Amino acid sequence: MTAFLKIDAVTKSYGAGPAVRSALRDVSIDIQRSELVAILGPSGCGKSTFLQIVAGLIPPTSGQVMLDGKQVSAPPRDMVYLFQQYTKSLFPWRTVLQNVAFPMEMQRTASQRLVRARCLEYLAMVGLGGCEDQYPWQLSGGMQQRVAIARALAAEPRVLLMDEPFSAVDALTRLELQSLVLDIWARQRLTVLLVTHDVDEAVFMADRVAMLSARPSVVASITDIDLPRPRDTMGTRESARFLSLRHGLLDTLLHPTAHVVGNV
Amino acid sequence: MYRAATRLLPGLASFVVVLVIWELAGRYRYVNPVLLPPPSVIGSTLWEIVRSGALLEPLGQTFLLLFVGYALACLFGIALGLVMGRSEVIYGLLEPLIELLRPIPKAALVPPLFLFLGFGATMKITIVALAAFFPILIATIQGVRGVDRVAIDTARTFGCTGLALNLRIILPASLPMIATGMRVGLGLGLILVVLAEMLAGDGGVGYLILDMQRSFAVRQMYAWIVILAAAGLAINAIFVFVEARAIPWRAK
Ligand SMILES: Nc1ncnc2c1ncn2[C@@H]1O[C@H](COP(=O)(O)OP(=O)(O)O)[C@@H](O)[C@H]1O
Ligand SMILES: [Mg+2]
Repeated sequence: MTAFLKIDAVTKSYGAGPAVRSALRDVSIDIQRSELVAILGPSGCGKSTFLQIVAGLIPPTSGQVMLDGKQVSAPPRDMVYLFQQYTKSLFPWRTVLQNVAFPMEMQRTASQRLVRARCLEYLAMVGLGGCEDQYPWQLSGGMQQRVAIARALAAEPRVLLMDEPFSAVDALTRLELQSLVLDIWARQRLTVLLVTHDVDEAVFMADRVAMLSARPSVVASITDIDLPRPRDTMGTRESARFLSLRHGLLDTLLHPTAHVVGNV
Repeated sequence: MYRAATRLLPGLASFVVVLVIWELAGRYRYVNPVLLPPPSVIGSTLWEIVRSGALLEPLGQTFLLLFVGYALACLFGIALGLVMGRSEVIYGLLEPLIELLRPIPKAALVPPLFLFLGFGATMKITIVALAAFFPILIATIQGVRGVDRVAIDTARTFGCTGLALNLRIILPASLPMIATGMRVGLGLGLILVVLAEMLAGDGGVGYLILDMQRSFAVRQMYAWIVILAAAGLAINAIFVFVEARAIPWRAK
């Protein structure tokens, strides 16, 4: 059986001629339905590039992405991308409710009443009940990212792509949002690809962690995270298994040359 | 209330000081009061004009022409700006032409427009539209090109492409820039409508000001200048009011 989301030998270089810069080289990962895979790598290694290729936002130089047997060449309908720059991904001329309703407006399937009800439900789920009539720029950073999460979920995607979704919020909010996303992921059986440079976050959330090397990035290693679920914000992080997984990944990040094994 | 008062007070004070100096300069003959009557005299002339109802017709004519020409400039400037900002091909096609036409002081086009369009409303609307069009166009192009990649990509991942993307994302996202261009355009439009009226001699506030000067009705001339200034101030205030409500996120 082929994987639900198959990333096959994706290579990406920017520029042309002598100025060409290679960002990704032959990156392949198979992701199963309802799996949560974290992509870990140092800053500038090409994680965002990778995720944008998976989303169909930019074309790869070579290689391909297959979603449920179909090649991705434009953003597929049931895939949603949560941007690292959430402030810029919210539309300031729309209220919180109108932002969350945007994907449903585009799908034009539900009635106005139903759209409103569903938006309020997802806003309540991310802890933003009562904020629906405010504008995004009236909210704090953490709240804005919650709006973006609610909007992503309200699109009811099958695949959720997240690009360092919690890197710009404060530490406490980050812990809350990690657990929130895990909750929703488990409830809705989403397939999640999470890009992060935070080892802690990768181990806490993922089923598997794929480590990218420095540019031009190859998949340096794939680690199974065999921690029990549901994961607990404090308990999981204090377990011996968590610490040893974290140690292994951190070691690979800090001493990359000793570990590169080529493509997996 | 108190804060608004303390904020406005210094500006108001300097305004009053200028009026007082002007008044005294006339009374004590430092300037010829025939050429520059003191503000009290202009004020009473102004009051007569307002009371007699002679205000409405010329003011209405001037601002109707301004409004129509300006609306056309907004319509075409924003529409073409959107297209040029989004399409490299069309931009490459039209940009040299626009860079050639844009620096021409639009006042210089009034005489040739007389030849083609005569001295009536069509000519004045055209010159207002031409003057306001370019700043609106340029601002729209800049605004459209400056729309953040992330906002566009977000919309794309939700299936918003093509015309929907342009109308629902690109247009509102460039609104702050467009408004800047619209404000510049409004100022130019006002200048051009007054100038065109002076040269055409077919009514309107601009015509009246010149006519008063020629018939040596100096007080009336100044009164009409004050009326024009007040009307210009008023439409600018309306613009700022609407802008603040249409683009509340700009301040952030
Ligand atoms: N549009 C682009 N044009 C040219 N180079 C780019 C572009 N986007 C990213 N890069 C380069 O590709 C590399 C990877 O960038 P990115 O995917 O953003 O990394 P990460 O998300 O891991 O920090 C960087 O060296 C960056 O400078
Ligand atoms: Mg990145």
